Amino acid sequence: MKLKKVIVIALASVMTFSMAGCGSQTSESAAPAADSGTEAAATEGTETATVSPDTLTVAVWDKNQEPGLTQIVNDFTAETGIKAQIQVTPWEQYWTMLEAGATGGSLPDVFWMHSNEITTYSEYEMLLDLTDRISSSETLDMSKFPKEIVEIYNYDGKQFAVPKDYDTIALWYNKTMFDEAGITYPDDTWTWDDFADACKKLTKEDGSQYGYALKPSNNQDGWYNMVYDMGGEIITPDRTKSGMDEEGTIKALEFVSGLVKDGYTPAYEVMTENNPEALFEAGKVGMITMGSWMLAELCNNDYVKANCDIAVLPKDTATGRRASIYNGLGWAAAANTDKPDEAWALIEYLGSQKAQQKQSDLGIVISAYEGSETNWVKAYPDFNLQAYLDMTEDMVIRPYSKHTTVWEDMISEKLIEAWNGTKEVKDICAEIATEMNADIAEE
Amino acid sequence: MKRAGLAWPAFSNGHVKEVPMGEKTVQYKGTNQKRSEFIWGWLFLLPTMIGLIILNIIPIFQTIYQSFFKTGAFGKGNVFIGFDNYTKMFQDASVWQALLNTFKYAIVEVPFSIIIAIVLAVLLNRKMRGRTIYRTIYFLPMVAAPAAVAMVWRWLYNSEFGLLNHLLNSIGLKSVNWISNPNIAYISIAVVGIWSVIGYNMVLFLAGLQEIPRDYYEAAEIDGASGVKQFFHITLPLISPTMFFVSVTRIIGALQVFDTIYMMLDKTNPAFAKTQSLVYLFYKYSFLESNKGYGSAIVMLLLLVIMLITVIQMICQKKWVNYN
Repeated sequence: MKLKKVIVIALASVMTFSMAGCGSQTSESAAPAADSGTEAAATEGTETATVSPDTLTVAVWDKNQEPGLTQIVNDFTAETGIKAQIQVTPWEQYWTMLEAGATGGSLPDVFWMHSNEITTYSEYEMLLDLTDRISSSETLDMSKFPKEIVEIYNYDGKQFAVPKDYDTIALWYNKTMFDEAGITYPDDTWTWDDFADACKKLTKEDGSQYGYALKPSNNQDGWYNMVYDMGGEIITPDRTKSGMDEEGTIKALEFVSGLVKDGYTPAYEVMTENNPEALFEAGKVGMITMGSWMLAELCNNDYVKANCDIAVLPKDTATGRRASIYNGLGWAAAANTDKPDEAWALIEYLGSQKAQQKQSDLGIVISAYEGSETNWVKAYPDFNLQAYLDMTEDMVIRPYSKHTTVWEDMISEKLIEAWNGTKEVKDICAEIATEMNADIAEE
Repeated sequence: MKRAGLAWPAFSNGHVKEVPMGEKTVQYKGTNQKRSEFIWGWLFLLPTMIGLIILNIIPIFQTIYQSFFKTGAFGKGNVFIGFDNYTKMFQDASVWQALLNTFKYAIVEVPFSIIIAIVLAVLLNRKMRGRTIYRTIYFLPMVAAPAAVAMVWRWLYNSEFGLLNHLLNSIGLKSVNWISNPNIAYISIAVVGIWSVIGYNMVLFLAGLQEIPRDYYEAAEIDGASGVKQFFHITLPLISPTMFFVSVTRIIGALQVFDTIYMMLDKTNPAFAKTQSLVYLFYKYSFLESNKGYGSAIVMLLLLVIMLITVIQMICQKKWVNYN
């Protein structure tokens, strides 16, 4: 009898759980039918019970930035009386969440935009057109932002997002390991050959320590930089053709996959199961290349604090080029928000010199606003953050087209065989270029 | 199982005859009561039916419809392309590989989860100390969130820092790439599936076991049958309806595997191509690449495969399921 009761209760609770799950699904799928903004807001409300209808929802994907951004948003609330709440959805689910929101008419009021996705969202008119508001704004001056980043978020002459920040890539190295191996620390004279040499010297035969770690999916913060250094490109400047089969691109990919094949990185399996930064923090690898958006994660790690520092990326011996891929996020608002004025007020505030300065000062990210980065360098005094700013001398905007994710994911998958060494890099690159050209043609 | 199976046709027979009569007038004697039974019956069915129609049946037809389109973003700008998605699918090697992966997973997960669950159910279906505690423990994985379960297992399996390899190393064995070796990964994933579902299967089997009259065992004992013999000659045949139910639902569940793969494998994992399931492919195309038309075509293939297997099972059940 007792058992039956237990089973009944257990099953009942399981059923209630699953029904609760269905409940939230219904409200989501019911949303398309309701085109009024209040309905959409109500749906939002069920997802996060604490958000009241007069609060702006702000969607971001980086939990490392949440504490700092919350401070800035609180300043905004204190100044204007408009409440806003930040919701973090990890990158892997962020775009799925946003797309579902856009399809169902329940986008967050204000959210981060990325160069990979902006074209789709602006083409389908999901974003609030900010052009007129920007031109009549007193606190927002678009000329203070890097031109290329402003351009990313401009579609058909309309501005759909205000630049938030920009990021560059630099080299992280483990001083303790360098001392032990008797190598001088990397500086601006370093070439990729010096880098490969250091990888070799840092690698221990017993498999306890390696030189470098990189996944095929670490493109922006990894092999993209080498590609541009060595004279290749990912996509042509007019974004109509793949550059994956160019000589320089192949050379760069042969270089990086060579490091894996020579055993200067942990086994490929280990790298796919663990992110480079995790291996770096665990003292498994001596060097990683990382974007400036990772500062909060790395600079607050005790092991990294005690042992590591930052340098500029190496340059290429032949071309002498030291490029950094860079990208910048934008603040966008939903076209169908029921609080467009409040949403704009927030975006305007976030783009103002004051908020941008604070964003840099807190060390959240390098703000896009001209001249605001000077204090950013001081955010983590133990580290040579200047390296990230030095990388701004030669910057290449992160390659993108209309449906970037489609070919980017395809490339990551195909490159597994390059990293594994099961196929010639040249053949893989040719295959990738064919498929990527087909993808671009379909856009 | 048995009663539910019988009750259904009886009920539906009843109302099929009733519908045309009831609609016209109340001509017959005693129909008042029947009519009220009929109305109340449907009233009680209504919540389930509305749920099924809104959440399952309408989406099925929408998916079929969508699979004939090249879909634009956000459900706008769809272009009719006839069977193009299907012809593309039949030429797509990764789809067939994913189908094979899904089968491999099911072949490991379903038999083991059923066998282990039966053994546990039989062991726990007697008077012993701490019986409820054991039952609760075995049922707990079912209550845990699948994503959390997958994250924990991912760490256990980690080739560099994982507990499993740590244990192997400490007894002098070499590390195993549990989730990045293409020959092992699908088994590792299936183990998580088995672990998660055993408790649920066990509860179903326990319910089945308790329907078996004690007299059979008493009679068998008097005849001198051993415990093992009793198990094979009394227990197994008499819980075959439960086994049938569990195997049908488990196969369907196993063919829909997604969350563990999604949570545990990175897309740059060398074992990924040999492990990704059909539902994962569906997810990839529909939500990562926002090509919902092609995703719908893939999921239609899955639906077809599941229906086919279930029909075969329905036919084969006559051979081994004993409804007494």
